[in-house]
Amino acid sequence: MKITADTDSCVASGQCVLLAPGTFDQDEETGSVVLLTDEPAAGEEDAVRQAELTCPAAAIRLAGA
Amino acid sequence: MTTTEQTPRLPFSRGNALEIAPDYEALRREAPVSRVLTPAGDPAWLITSYEAAKEVFRDRRFGRSHPAPEQASRISYAAVQDGPSGDFESEEREHKRMRRMLAPAFSAPRMRALGDRIAELTDRCLDDLQAARDADPGAPVDLTDFLAFPLPVLVICELLGVPYEDREKFRGLSERIARMDGGEDAQAAMTEFKAYMTQLAEAKRADPQPDVISDMVAVQADDPTFTDDDLARMGAGLLFAGHETTSTRIAMGTLFLLTDTARRDRFAADPEGQVAQTVEEILRLTATSGTGLLRYAHEDVEIAGTRIARGDAVLISSDAANRDAAVFADPDEFDPDRTPNVHLAFGTGAHVCIGANLARTELRTVFPKLFERFPGLRLAVGLDEIAVRTNRVAGGVDRVPVEW
Ligand code: SF4
Repeated sequence: MKITADTDSCVASGQCVLLAPGTFDQDEETGSVVLLTDEPAAGEEDAVRQAELTCPAAAIRLAGA
Repeated sequence: MTTTEQTPRLPFSRGNALEIAPDYEALRREAPVSRVLTPAGDPAWLITSYEAAKEVFRDRRFGRSHPAPEQASRISYAAVQDGPSGDFESEEREHKRMRRMLAPAFSAPRMRALGDRIAELTDRCLDDLQAARDADPGAPVDLTDFLAFPLPVLVICELLGVPYEDREKFRGLSERIARMDGGEDAQAAMTEFKAYMTQLAEAKRADPQPDVISDMVAVQADDPTFTDDDLARMGAGLLFAGHETTSTRIAMGTLFLLTDTARRDRFAADPEGQVAQTVEEILRLTATSGTGLLRYAHEDVEIAGTRIARGDAVLISSDAANRDAAVFADPDEFDPDRTPNVHLAFGTGAHVCIGANLARTELRTVFPKLFERFPGLRLAVGLDEIAVRTNRVAGGVDRVPVEW
């Protein structure tokens, strides 16, 4: 599973970080999403799937199984 | 219009605090978008389906401003969510500036940093709850007085840099601006609220602190188009929003957990393990105001086959969308195992609630602490005795009397 995050459309809501803190973070200055890894961190596969669904800006995309 | 007799008028009435009005489902069964009258008596579109709600939330052709504000449908006679706000020409630019200014303060890193402080404040509130019980062991204690109200206020005060000592003042102002039949008094309260914020901003200008009002003052120094009035209005808006919304969720969440003993026991047996999903379910099911969130169409738009004309008012009922059976199986059931649970309690899209992270952090702290400390907590009155506030923009209940 490969993750991409579109920082341009991100509205800095932080839902992804709250769901999968090992995979996502937010920039301290802008609030924009930061990908800590492009694969879900250990044990966070479901949380990352949930983040894709929950992201209010549809900025998170998953490719592959 | 000659058909107004048949047009349903908001707010609809509901059976009790934990239910929503059955009218929403009845309307949704006919169409995802319905014609209604606002509490002020003006025409509007009401969105009741999940898909249509999501679509409108994400569609940039809807905004909070109106091309001809004097002709806009009015929602109520409160001073918030009452009608159009902001400037039609510059709304998108202003909104972007606001998000940019506030995002860092509400971001996950800052929430993590605030987490310990929230835990400490929660403990303090629970001490007060116990003390109230000890002072009069025979009498129930109102959870809204000792936890649901003070905690979010303490937290938003810290974040914004507002003195907690002033809480009675802005509690009163918050209540007055959100009264749907407030009229002149609501407007007068808004003026007072802004004056209070202006004064506070003055103090931060002279002596900046690590808080949101100081951040806004700093932004203003670089961007003079962000006026004193803009600053005051935004500060008042944040203080207001930080106060009733989370407060309502704490009260209603407690009600959801206490009205079913098995549910309570299950949560109390493993609060940390269950809290994340329990909080999402509380957020999904908590019905708020009877109006929904307000938008105006900025162009002619078609939503779910209905043509909405430029300037029309649209009310998005997250309460109804969150109980749409097309998306949530057994939508009226409280099911903390529900997954995924992509509810619209905070809206979605560019205008998604900026305080969502803060609210989640507070709620995820408060419920485990409450039930670790008082695993045998119970409601002291029947659910039917708990009145729903129908006259307030944020909805909510008047009291949650508990004993243990
Ligand atoms: S959930 Fe989406 S909008 Fe929110 S911070 Fe993450 S990527 Fe950005």
